[in-house]
Amino acid sequence: MTDIEQVADHRATLARRRTERFARVEPRGKRVHTARERVELFFDDGTFNETTPMRSAHGGGSGVVTGWGLVDGRPVVVASHDAAVASGAIGEVMAETIMAAQRLAIDRGFPIVYINDSGGARVPDGILALHGCGGIFALNVDAQRRIPQISLILGPCAGAAAYSPALTDWTIMVKGQGHMFLTGPDIVKAATGEDATADEIGGSRLHTETSGVAHLEVASEIEALESARLLLSFLPSHAGGAQQVGGAVPANPRAAEALPELVPAKASVVFDMNQLVDGVLDNGARLELMPGHAGSILTLFGRLDGRPVGVVANQPACRGGILDAKSSVKLARFVEFCGRFGVPVLTFVDVPGFLPGTVEEGRGIITHGAKVLKAYVDADSPKLTVVVRKAYGGAYIAMGAKSLGADMTWAWSSAEIAVMGPGGAVALLHRRALAAADDPIALRDELAAEYRENVARPYVAAEAGIVDDVIVPEETRDRMTQALRMLTHGEGER
Amino acid sequence: MTVPARADIVGNVWKIVAREGDPVGIGDTVAILETMKMEIPVVAPAAGHVSRILVTEGQIVQEGDPVAEIDATLSA
Repeated sequence: MTDIEQVADHRATLARRRTERFARVEPRGKRVHTARERVELFFDDGTFNETTPMRSAHGGGSGVVTGWGLVDGRPVVVASHDAAVASGAIGEVMAETIMAAQRLAIDRGFPIVYINDSGGARVPDGILALHGCGGIFALNVDAQRRIPQISLILGPCAGAAAYSPALTDWTIMVKGQGHMFLTGPDIVKAATGEDATADEIGGSRLHTETSGVAHLEVASEIEALESARLLLSFLPSHAGGAQQVGGAVPANPRAAEALPELVPAKASVVFDMNQLVDGVLDNGARLELMPGHAGSILTLFGRLDGRPVGVVANQPACRGGILDAKSSVKLARFVEFCGRFGVPVLTFVDVPGFLPGTVEEGRGIITHGAKVLKAYVDADSPKLTVVVRKAYGGAYIAMGAKSLGADMTWAWSSAEIAVMGPGGAVALLHRRALAAADDPIALRDELAAEYRENVARPYVAAEAGIVDDVIVPEETRDRMTQALRMLTHGEGER
Repeated sequence: MTVPARADIVGNVWKIVAREGDPVGIGDTVAILETMKMEIPVVAPAAGHVSRILVTEGQIVQEGDPVAEIDATLSA
């Protein structure tokens, strides 16, 4: 055999062995592609370069396909668990291979995508498997300071394998196929007696609606890969890297036209904040993260003036747009991420407050609410805030207020900004008068209207300098665009 | 099959919109809660008929409490 033939033969053997092994794997859910096919489908056509393809402990392969390729022309590193080798369980060699990919991504500043399909630690490798898993976690943490990390859950992701995704930025699960849990149904049954299915313990619905462990639920492997590409389109390759600025596109004309009439005058009536976002942002691609979890806060990526932006907004249509423990965690995580990667944060405020009471206090709303405050203060990407209607109390501060470092804040003329809502404030300030009144309800309403007019109206906040200006809805897009251009001027030169 | 329409937030039952026997579609408002000065709808999770209203106006409900039962066997 010539050298060329020998190399080709070796590669063919490797490929055949993988295909055969994959064919032997019991089909699970919609799992249809091999680890390598997934990677090839993820990258721009023909751009995947595998690193250490022959790395193996016993000839079977390392259990992971690693390498790099291009996503819309930009390099991205990948590590794709190979369920054909020991069920993708993480052994010593597999861990070393993943860590090498992580180091490449961290050292050279490229995003990394982990395609997870793993039964956990490889038991025959003993404590060396655990040592390897710990090494992956440590690099996950190192990477947080430097590069975006995305996890796709395309199969089981058990035990040690579940913690790596939890240390990455965004996790995407395939419905009915991806599972994340500390341990599966059999061990749960043995350990605690609880009888539950894999979906109940760690399915995509549980994690994207209830637990918040994962951030997007998709219907297929292909959709998971496409979602990761879309997510990357909004992000720089690394912290401090160039933002992916495209051409500006006007807002959806129908949504923009409806903007002045969108917010109901009556403060108690709900509306859909998505329509407001559509009326301000560039018409085009959006990616909402955690749409099924803590829906009173919206977190999404979109573009303004061609520039990727992270949008945070109260969603009055869900739980009144309240800040509670879960929505605080969701909000804080998103703002923290945007800050790390220089993505401007646009905040749209219509918040009735932090939800008080036994349930939320028991969930630790103080601790979680504080995370929101910290995230805004820490984030040093441009921060622009618009109060569209209510902004009361601590929740006013938490929603990207000037005091937390917003570069620019505006209030719509319909906004109410105050230390308390009119009802509560009047009850507190005029307790004696109300107690003595013949008709306390009439007096309360009268005083509340006065409070609304004299205390809560946005001009008071503008005069105090805590909002920069009072604007009408149709000015919003232009004001935000101008400010964004100013704040990002000379970006990369500093 | 009967499914509950649940409150998704703590609040005061401000107005009961549906009556027992009314046909409802998914997402139709069954009752409105008043919480944090907001009107928060309680919606039917399935299409069917309202078989039972479980609360009275003015009553406090906690997050997750059933507000009404929807009989989903007879689709609206």
